Amino acid sequence: MTSPRGLAPPRLTLRQRAVAHAGTAGLHARAQLAYRADFVFRVLWLLLQVYLLALVWRAVYPESGTAPAHGGQQVTLATQLAYVTYASVQNWLLTPAGLAPTPIPQRVREGSIAVDLSRPVAFTTQMLAAQGGIVLAAAPFAVLALPFAVVAGGARAPASAGAASAYALSLVPAVLNALLLAVVVSMVSFWTLEAVGVFMIHRVVAHFFAGALIPLWFMPSWLADLAQLLPFQTTTYTPIALYLGHIHGTGPVLTALAVQCGWTAALWLIMRLVWARALHRVVVQGG
Amino acid sequence: MSGPIIEVEGLAKEYRRPVRVEGPLGGLRSLLSPRHVTKRAVDGVSFALAEGELVGYLGPNGAGKSTTIKMLTGILRPTAGLVRVAGLVPWRERERHARNIGVVFGQRTQLWWDLPLRDSLELIGRLYGVERARHRATTARFTELLGLGPFLDTPVRQLSLGQRMRGDLAAAMLPEPRILFLDEPTIGLDVVAKERIRDFIATRNRRDGTTIVLTTHDLDDVERLCRRIVLIDDGRVLYDGDVARLKERYAPHRRLVVQLADGAGWHGVRVPGVARDDEADDAPGQVTLRFDPAGTRVADVITAVLARHEVTDLSLVEPGLEGVVHRIYAARGAA
Repeated sequence: MTSPRGLAPPRLTLRQRAVAHAGTAGLHARAQLAYRADFVFRVLWLLLQVYLLALVWRAVYPESGTAPAHGGQQVTLATQLAYVTYASVQNWLLTPAGLAPTPIPQRVREGSIAVDLSRPVAFTTQMLAAQGGIVLAAAPFAVLALPFAVVAGGARAPASAGAASAYALSLVPAVLNALLLAVVVSMVSFWTLEAVGVFMIHRVVAHFFAGALIPLWFMPSWLADLAQLLPFQTTTYTPIALYLGHIHGTGPVLTALAVQCGWTAALWLIMRLVWARALHRVVVQGG
Repeated sequence: MSGPIIEVEGLAKEYRRPVRVEGPLGGLRSLLSPRHVTKRAVDGVSFALAEGELVGYLGPNGAGKSTTIKMLTGILRPTAGLVRVAGLVPWRERERHARNIGVVFGQRTQLWWDLPLRDSLELIGRLYGVERARHRATTARFTELLGLGPFLDTPVRQLSLGQRMRGDLAAAMLPEPRILFLDEPTIGLDVVAKERIRDFIATRNRRDGTTIVLTTHDLDDVERLCRRIVLIDDGRVLYDGDVARLKERYAPHRRLVVQLADGAGWHGVRVPGVARDDEADDAPGQVTLRFDPAGTRVADVITAVLARHEVTDLSLVEPGLEGVVHRIYAARGAA
């Protein structure tokens, strides 16, 4: 027995929970690889997107080879093509393929949520771990796709050693924020089983405001301001803009990283809040 | 002697379900101005289980069985009443409670569909914080007992229902829980698969002392496994006690089936309390008699039959639980 008779066991220790979540992530990563053939098509879709975006940017760019962005900075065509390439690949990696952002809606529909609730770890972290595993499974394919994407679009070395390390640092909250957003949005399915429309809107909004199609620096300023207020840009635009040195100087770089981390904390709280409501619905109303 | 491991007192659960608005844009209108109906699925259920008991929790569809199990496992929060399982209030301390219990929902699986069974069983060990060596030993033991070996490396989606259920049982028992909840574990299985699962359940109870709550529609499960049953209908307890005593109370009669020799006629028996059973579906040359063994000795009935008839076969039929339960529901429906 895991505990002496008559004594209620304690919660799992932090270490035990870490092992549980790592196991969950690993399992979901392996489950994804059951659909290897699907990844081939998804990679083709990604390369096509990069190719078409690069085609358009080459066509619309001024002959001088540079275009003015917000704040008077000049963006060269080479930088723009590199942005389109990296942003597409990163966003592809962080945005799961299915119609729903996570497996949660399916689990709610099938009632497997009952199984998840009878585990000794919290539902939200289980789902974050599962989603992490799904992203992890796509990572090797993103790495493999990158050279081809560079051929279809463009590439640039990081603006400086500082830019490279800022990018590496910013990837952590970028990934966390993408996972949190996916979990939060898919919890809509606790209120309505017909959430497909919501997920489609989320997909378009997230894709656009993440800067996966157009960098924030070329958006009309009011739209860029709006994008700055939303969490989506922290998943794609911020890291790539740091890498390319578009965000530079100690102050702006630290601010960008702080905004990312602030969103991580905020999204965590939002997830907990939404989950508390969803759980209330499940356990109280038997939804 | 410690107190009961499961205590349920005045347990009630009301569901508030949204009603879909009919007509154009019904979905949208339901979403914007929802209307609800309330249904009392469990209505004042009380019982207590001692550690090591194996209890059948029975009732017709919609009686409130699954709702009770969901409250006992911490998935639902009661509307009223008290639940305490191994000293914990399940819904309030879900994560700690989860370490005490194993659950099998016959209609769904806790295994991961796309992966080999082995992977699911391995993850269970990590999810429940089971020490590695111990988990390996338990997995080996259950693999042998449930005959999982031949399909450990088969993806769960390719398993037959019987194989999947064995996998689910193993998964539920791998953390060695003190209490096991089984919600229709033999549903849709063939005779051999059922027997294997019953064996496993009985052994876990007897050898490991696991407390087991079994809900099922298969009364053979109950006759084979449970000494005690809790029978509910319409969210209330109808009967709580011994299976044997239930039969005595609701089906006191024994039946004697007499097969007459070719051409022999039936002349009746003159023993008080013995009557021909009108409900019996007798074949030609066959006669079924009904009597209460409390008032009439079996030997007297047989002697009386043999004295007046030429008989080729005699058999005494004990009442089955099936008939008993059927009778209880029917009586309740008529009341």
